[in-house]
Amino acid sequence: MPTLAEKDIKTWLLENVKPDEFLEKDFKKSGILFEAVVPSGKIRETAAEFLAQGYFLESLTAVDFAECFEVVYHFNRWESPPKRCCVKILVPKEENKAPSISSIYKSANWFEREVYDLFGIHFTDHPNLKRILLPESSAIFPLLKSFKGEPAGSDVEQSLKLIEEDKEGFEIRYPQTITEHQKEYYLNLGPQHPSTHGVLRILLHLSGERVLDAEPIIGYAHRHHEKMMEIQTYQACWPNMGRLDYVGAMSYNFAYALLVEKAMGIQPSRRVEFIRVITTELNRITSHLLWLGTFLMDLGAFTPFFYCFDDRERILDILEMVTGERLTYDYFRFGGLDKDVPADFVPAVKAFIPHFKKRLRDYDLLITKNIIFQKRTKGVGVLSRENALAYGVTGPCLRASGVPFDLRRDEPYSIYPELDFDVAAAKDGDVFSRHLVRMQEMRESLKIVSQIIDKIPPGEITLGKLPKNVPKGETYTAVEGARGLFGMCLLSDGSLNPYRLKLRTPSFSNLNAMIDMVHGCFVSDVVSVLGSLDVVLPEIDR
Amino acid sequence: MEINPKELELMGKTQSPPPGLVNFFKVEDVFNLARAHSLWPLTFGLACCAIELMAGGAARFDMDRFGFGVVRPSPRQADLMIVAGTISRKMAPCIKTLYDQMPSPKYVIALGGCATAGGPFKYPGQYGILEGIDKIIPVNVYVPGCPPRPEALLAGILELQKQIIEGKAQGRTSPAVVHDSQDNRPAEHKNAISRAEFRKTT
Repeated sequence: MPTLAEKDIKTWLLENVKPDEFLEKDFKKSGILFEAVVPSGKIRETAAEFLAQGYFLESLTAVDFAECFEVVYHFNRWESPPKRCCVKILVPKEENKAPSISSIYKSANWFEREVYDLFGIHFTDHPNLKRILLPESSAIFPLLKSFKGEPAGSDVEQSLKLIEEDKEGFEIRYPQTITEHQKEYYLNLGPQHPSTHGVLRILLHLSGERVLDAEPIIGYAHRHHEKMMEIQTYQACWPNMGRLDYVGAMSYNFAYALLVEKAMGIQPSRRVEFIRVITTELNRITSHLLWLGTFLMDLGAFTPFFYCFDDRERILDILEMVTGERLTYDYFRFGGLDKDVPADFVPAVKAFIPHFKKRLRDYDLLITKNIIFQKRTKGVGVLSRENALAYGVTGPCLRASGVPFDLRRDEPYSIYPELDFDVAAAKDGDVFSRHLVRMQEMRESLKIVSQIIDKIPPGEITLGKLPKNVPKGETYTAVEGARGLFGMCLLSDGSLNPYRLKLRTPSFSNLNAMIDMVHGCFVSDVVSVLGSLDVVLPEIDR
Repeated sequence: MEINPKELELMGKTQSPPPGLVNFFKVEDVFNLARAHSLWPLTFGLACCAIELMAGGAARFDMDRFGFGVVRPSPRQADLMIVAGTISRKMAPCIKTLYDQMPSPKYVIALGGCATAGGPFKYPGQYGILEGIDKIIPVNVYVPGCPPRPEALLAGILELQKQIIEGKAQGRTSPAVVHDSQDNRPAEHKNAISRAEFRKTT
C-alpha cells in the first residue's frame, strides 16, 4: 500500500517527532515530497522508523550556513512513484556535533565520514570517524565557506610531506602485519592493482586464503568536483559532468541538464529529448561493454576484452560523430544540446543494431553459458535484500538481488514513460546474477534505441539565450545511470554559481556494500565481486 | 659519441660524464636501440585517461604492433610508466613508490592534461590534486588531450622511442610553482549566507 505508507511516515513524523519546520513540496518541481527539520536528538528515532518502513538512505550531506550547519538526509523507497523525503537537523557551529545514525543505516557510516572529512562535523558514537577522501594528515575542511583555498605550490609541498611520511614505512598506517596466531594476516590490495579498476585500495584481513574482513580505502582519485562547482558558473560545470563517471558520462550530463531545467522551470523540445535518450542508451551499452571486458579479464579470460572493445569502438565512432568526443562527453546544454546530430547518425545507428544483436548472442554462448565462468560466479558475493536496503545499493547490483527498481520506469524523466522496455532483474544477488542483469540491460537499451531511432521529430536544438543564474531554492534530481541512482542536490542562492551541489554517486554506496559481500570468500573471489560491482573510482571519490 | 655540454645542461644534467669508471658510448647506443624496442609499460591507471590507455591496448589500436604491448602488473618488471589521469595528493606518494620500485633505466609518459599540469581540475586555490606529475618524478614525453586519443598515446610512445635511440631520454622535472598567465578564472570563494534569510526568501 504505497500511498498508505507515505501517509504513515508523514503522520508519524508530525505526531511523534514534532518537527520544528515542516514543508510540503511539489515533487515535480523540487524532487522531494516533503521536508522536515527535526530536533537533532530525535534523528535516530526518525531514521529507525524510516528503516522500519522500508526506506533506504539515498544521501547524507551537509550545508554550511552562517549561523549553523544543516545536515540533510534523503530517504527513498523502492517503489513507483518514488517516495523521496528530506529530513534535516540543525547543528550549531559552536557545538559542531550531530548524532550518528550509522548503527541504524550501514550506509551512513561512510556518508558521515565524508561529511566529517569535508565539513568537520563530528558524529557522536560513530565507530570509525576518520577522514575518507582526503589524506589522514590533512588539516583542512574544504567545503566550509570559510575555507578560501590553498596557496599556490601547496600541492607539491603536501605531496612531498606525504612521500616523506610514507618513507617511514607503508606498514605504519596498517594494522600489525602478522598477528600472534600467524595464520591471520593483512593483505593490501591496491591502490595500484590491475583488478581494482583504478585506484581503489582494499585492506583484507585474511585467515589463510579466506577473507575475514575487508575495508575499502578510497579517496585516491578525489578531484574536488563539489568545491570546484561552488566557485564556477553553472555553464562551466559541464566538463565536470563528463569526468565524474567517464564511462557513462551521458547519464551525468542528463542529470545536470534535468536539475537546472527543473530549477529554472524550462522544458527542452521533443527532438532534444529523443536525441538525449538515444545517446544515453548507446552510452549505457558502451559502459556495460567496458564492464564486461574488464570483468572477464579479472576472472582470467582475455579474449572477451578484445571483442567488447571492438564493439565499444563502433559505438564510440557514432558518439564521436555526434559529440566530437570519445569519452568525456559534455554534449547536453540547459534546455537543449550542444549541436544537432549529423545526417549520417541515423544510418550508422541502424547499421549497428543488427550487428550488436548478433554479438550479444555470441557473448551469451561464449560467456554466460561457459561452465568455468558459471562455477567462478554462481553463489559468490551474495547481496541480500536486507543488506541492499541498509547500504542503499542501487542500479544493476540492486536489480540482481530481486528488486526491480529502475528510475527510468519508477521516477520517469524525459520520454522514458512513452517507451516500451523491461526492467532487467535476477533473483539470487550473486556475481552471476549481476552479470545476467547487465547483459539483459544491454538488450533493453538496444530495444529502446531501435524503437525511437526512426521517430526523431523535427525541432529546435536550443532554447536560445537563458538567464545565467538559477532561481533561489533547493532542487533534487536523480537519474538512472549505468551504475545506479545518480542524484544531484542543488541549493541555489540565486547567484551565478551553486551555493552547494551534492553529488550522490551510485558506486559510493555499492562499494560500501562490498564489505558484507566478501566475508568468507577467497581472495580471488574478492576480485570477482569487485568486478561485478562495476565501480568507477573517480565517481566514488568525486 | 660527442655530448654537447650545453645540451646536457638543458636536460637538467650538470655533470657531463655518466656515472661509472669506464663508459662505452657505442655499446650504450646498442643498448638504447634494444631498450627502445622492448618497452614494457606498467599497468596503471588513475582516471579517465586509463580508459583510453586500455583502448590503445585493445583490438583497434593495438599497441602491440609497435612492440610495447607487454603490459606488466608489477613495477619491478616494467620500464615505462604511463601516468594516465589526475594525480590526487593522496595518490602522489604511491606513484613515487611505484616509480622508485621500477628498475633503471626507466621512462615516464605524462598522458593527458592532468598528468601534465593539472588539467581541468586546476584552479587557483585547489586543494585536492598535484598539478603535474613532473613535480615529483622526471617526465620524458607529455601527451596533450583530455583525454588524448589512443593515436596520440601511440605517437607519444614513438616519440619516446626516438628519444631513447638518440640517447636523450633523461626526463625533466618542473619547478614547484608554475605561474600560468593563461589561467584567468577568478576563484570566487563565497561567504556563508544566513540560513534564516535564505528560508524567508524561498
